[in-house]
Amino acid sequence: MNFWTDPIKVIYDWLMITLTGWGMSGWLADVLINLLGIIVLITAAMVLDILLVWVERKVVARFQDRLGPNRVGPFGLFQPFPDIIKLIIKEDITPAGADKVVFNLAPILSLASVIFLWAVIPLAANVYGVDLNVALLYLVAAGAIGTLSIIMAGWASNNKYALLGAYRMVAVMISYEIPMIVALLIPTLLAGTMSMKGITLAQQDGLWFVVLSPLGMLLFLVAAIAELGRAPFDLSEGESEIVSGFHIEYSGMKFGLFYAGELLHAFTFGAFVGILFFGGWNWPLPWGDKYPLIGIFNVLAKGMFFYWVIMWVKYTVPRLRIDHMLAFNWKFLTPLAFALLIVTAVVHAIFKDLPLWAYGLAMFLSNILLGWAVLEILRSNARQERAAEETPAPAAQH
Amino acid sequence: MDASQIIFFLSAALILVSALFVVTARNLVHAALWLIATLFGVAVLYVLLEAGFLAVVQVVVYIGAIAILFIFAVMLTRRDLLSQSSQTNANWPVALGVSALSLAAIAFIARGFGFSLDRPLAPVPTDSLERLGQALVSPQQFVLPFEVASVLLVAALVGAVYVAMNKK
Amino acid sequence: MTITDFSVILPVTLLTAWASILLLAELFLPRAQRPFLALLAALGLALTLGISLAQSAQEFAPGFGGMVVRDGFSNFLNVLFLLTGLFGVALSYRYNQRAQIERGEYYPLLLFSVAGMMLMGQAADLIVVFLALELLSFPLYILSAFAYPRPQSEEAGLKYFLLGAFASGFVVYGIALTFGASGSTDLARIVASVAAGSANLPLLTAGAGLLLVGFGFKVAAVPFHMWTPDVYQGAPTSVTAFMAAGAKTAGFAALLRVFGAAFPALAADLSPLMAILAAVTMLFGNLIAVAQTDMKRMLAYSSIAQAGYLLMAFAPFEIEAARTMAVAGALFYLLAYTLASFGSWGVVIALEKDLDRHLSIGDFAGLARRSPWLAAAMTVFMLSLTGLPPTLGLVGKIYLFRAVIEGGMVWLAVIGALTSVVSAFYYLRIVVNMFMREGEPAVEREWWLEFAIGAAAVVTVVVSLWPFPLFEWAEWAVMKLF
Repeated sequence: MNFWTDPIKVIYDWLMITLTGWGMSGWLADVLINLLGIIVLITAAMVLDILLVWVERKVVARFQDRLGPNRVGPFGLFQPFPDIIKLIIKEDITPAGADKVVFNLAPILSLASVIFLWAVIPLAANVYGVDLNVALLYLVAAGAIGTLSIIMAGWASNNKYALLGAYRMVAVMISYEIPMIVALLIPTLLAGTMSMKGITLAQQDGLWFVVLSPLGMLLFLVAAIAELGRAPFDLSEGESEIVSGFHIEYSGMKFGLFYAGELLHAFTFGAFVGILFFGGWNWPLPWGDKYPLIGIFNVLAKGMFFYWVIMWVKYTVPRLRIDHMLAFNWKFLTPLAFALLIVTAVVHAIFKDLPLWAYGLAMFLSNILLGWAVLEILRSNARQERAAEETPAPAAQH
Repeated sequence: MDASQIIFFLSAALILVSALFVVTARNLVHAALWLIATLFGVAVLYVLLEAGFLAVVQVVVYIGAIAILFIFAVMLTRRDLLSQSSQTNANWPVALGVSALSLAAIAFIARGFGFSLDRPLAPVPTDSLERLGQALVSPQQFVLPFEVASVLLVAALVGAVYVAMNKK
Repeated sequence: MTITDFSVILPVTLLTAWASILLLAELFLPRAQRPFLALLAALGLALTLGISLAQSAQEFAPGFGGMVVRDGFSNFLNVLFLLTGLFGVALSYRYNQRAQIERGEYYPLLLFSVAGMMLMGQAADLIVVFLALELLSFPLYILSAFAYPRPQSEEAGLKYFLLGAFASGFVVYGIALTFGASGSTDLARIVASVAAGSANLPLLTAGAGLLLVGFGFKVAAVPFHMWTPDVYQGAPTSVTAFMAAGAKTAGFAALLRVFGAAFPALAADLSPLMAILAAVTMLFGNLIAVAQTDMKRMLAYSSIAQAGYLLMAFAPFEIEAARTMAVAGALFYLLAYTLASFGSWGVVIALEKDLDRHLSIGDFAGLARRSPWLAAAMTVFMLSLTGLPPTLGLVGKIYLFRAVIEGGMVWLAVIGALTSVVSAFYYLRIVVNMFMREGEPAVEREWWLEFAIGAAAVVTVVVSLWPFPLFEWAEWAVMKLF
């Protein structure tokens, strides 16, 4: 055991010896070291967040055929710092009639709900906050805190646009939670555990779950984008009708917290896609599970890739109307998620004892078959609807 | 005293104080937010009892769904009306009497309960989550209540749709 | 999972499945064919009734690890509940068309409610008791508010829902305390832990008390009766009829099952309390009913008073011999009450021409001339509710009073008898109105309704002349309970 294979243990032991050497009692040292670990993890996440600001701005510029920030530092890499300084020195406004405590608590909770998630991310085989056996449910629970923060922000601002934005956002988040939970059940079912580490280990020994359940991956991605409130599901902001939704009244660093929370949230869900369906710290080359540095690189790289996918969707697809969006959830995503769960469970139960390639093939084909059937149903439905539209209604002339 | 005891006392204080504020807060949204704090404290207690699943479900269901719907409903009602209405009605002495009686009854029962610090802690099975899942679908255990609950939900859903449906 | 498990809950399963199919059937039926749904619902109930009767000869069988049981008690109640459902459908069929509340959700909800009641009769575990209670109550909340644009109906639904949810809270808390005291929610195991002395008795008593409060709401016992008049008055009359018979019977089923089977050790503590509850309920219900002029409110208070008579069955629990008889008497009285209650509500439906105006007692004037058979049937129901010959009500009351006297509570029997005399005043006032006063009541002629009323009246009279087989069935039903 050395630093390169198990850094956390090495650092912990060293700190423990040092601290108890100073005469500190064992449990206090343990608490202190754990606190230190938490602070380091949060700091790392926030530093990553600063980088994400640059990534976001650069990528959106490329999608929109612009150059993006390119003045401050190489490739404009230091652009986030002027951004942050600007936010900090801005006037901090609390609108008259706002509920001060709740108003100020909301952005903190918003960012906190994202930071909570980092506790369960297995960055490498032995670098993680905690290996919860209910990690996937914990993920949903942290999302509930996020929902709460939005409704608090919308209500406390004493602004109708803010309240409307919060309503929309909460309606969306509560609805899309259902297909997301069901999609999360698929890796649970395949790995036989809800622990993120357990799920990664299951993929290390077998196939990546994206092969076993490509539809599940897509479902989770779509539901995650909706949970994030990013385009095309960003009607909580809806600039054209409700100005900017629940954070309309926030200025300066309070807005900054929402913004940072949103970016980090998107990246975190990208990382979740990577962990749950793309093998987490593993990569096709060896040593992914052995050397934590490679593992961390893998997780972050996968996270970054899916963060990019989320951005790709965001800057390509126009915003949906709220009724379309809820109909999409209740009439398409939720039934599909349940159907997929049933199909996955049945196929898994039948084929799990076969050799790996046969099992993988069966799972993959069942997914493709289900996807194809759904597409066919949708296509025939759309055809019928189009036919109904095209037959001229006699009294519809205006 | 160790770390878990400190956490217990902190969360117990959080539960009691915020429960008090739930009742006394004039603003209904504040009351709902205090309620969330209470529920969160209870979730922490579950964690201390090594019932991680219950803790997370507590947050998902009570905070993520029920409390949010509370706030939703409260926000849809008129705001100024809520802050000014009286918090008590003419029957408060009766309520006080009943509460005092209940407290006395609870105290009486608790006295006979035989709390003891010497009792060894019951071991928590490591696979408690699996056992919970098995119990829910085992015909010898809870599969029937589980199914009845789903029938109940169907009935409630039909009813909710009927009540909410826009008639004409 | 074995075949026995399934056969134990076969009637409930069938009914639930039938209700679900009915929900879907409504989707595919054209609007003109909607009345067909009532027939389908009745068919489902009749089928289930057939199965229940076929199973009635079979012996005691537990299912699903002791969650439910099938015994004589549950068979008796299943038959009673299914009859309740059939009566409910018969009374609703034309009434709903008149009231323009004929919507596809009505019959599935009714069937779900009946399924909940049946499960209540079979429950052998407090968790199932609670779920069954909710399953029977939830559809009733919705059905109370079913006549949507009418504000009274909405008010009734909301009141019932809020107070019902409140009562459910008591039940859950009671279950939690019981579990804490005995370490199990299984009724048999609770009994065993009490017998072994391992249960915490004060805690168990507190739990039992809370359960009593919760069930007290369901059966509308004083002082938990506040919702009854308003809900009975506001809900569509067809729903009220179903609720008055079904929900009360189910509440008593739970009380009998839980208090009869699980808490015999507490009988010494609880039976005086039960006796007082019964006495207060009889006194209060009957005295207030005297002052009512609105027909639906009067029947509501009468149903509260009837709950008082039924509660008498719990009073003599200390004495072994009286106990069996009391519970059998309660079952018998429940049947008598169901018939009389449905019959009288049926007559109210027949007379209720204008749905926005409440039917008053004066509206019965001249019914004997206008429609003699209806008046005769109503007289039978009123006599049965009062406890006068030649009706089942009399027989039931005699059995109950005898059990109470054998249990050594003569004072309770005296109160019962005296309040019955009081009740004669308001029940017979209707009879007087029908036969002695002049009037031109408008009567709806509906085949289903008349059939239901007629059947109830005929059974009430004929069985009362030779009630022994029925009583033997009731006694056989409770034999295995203790």
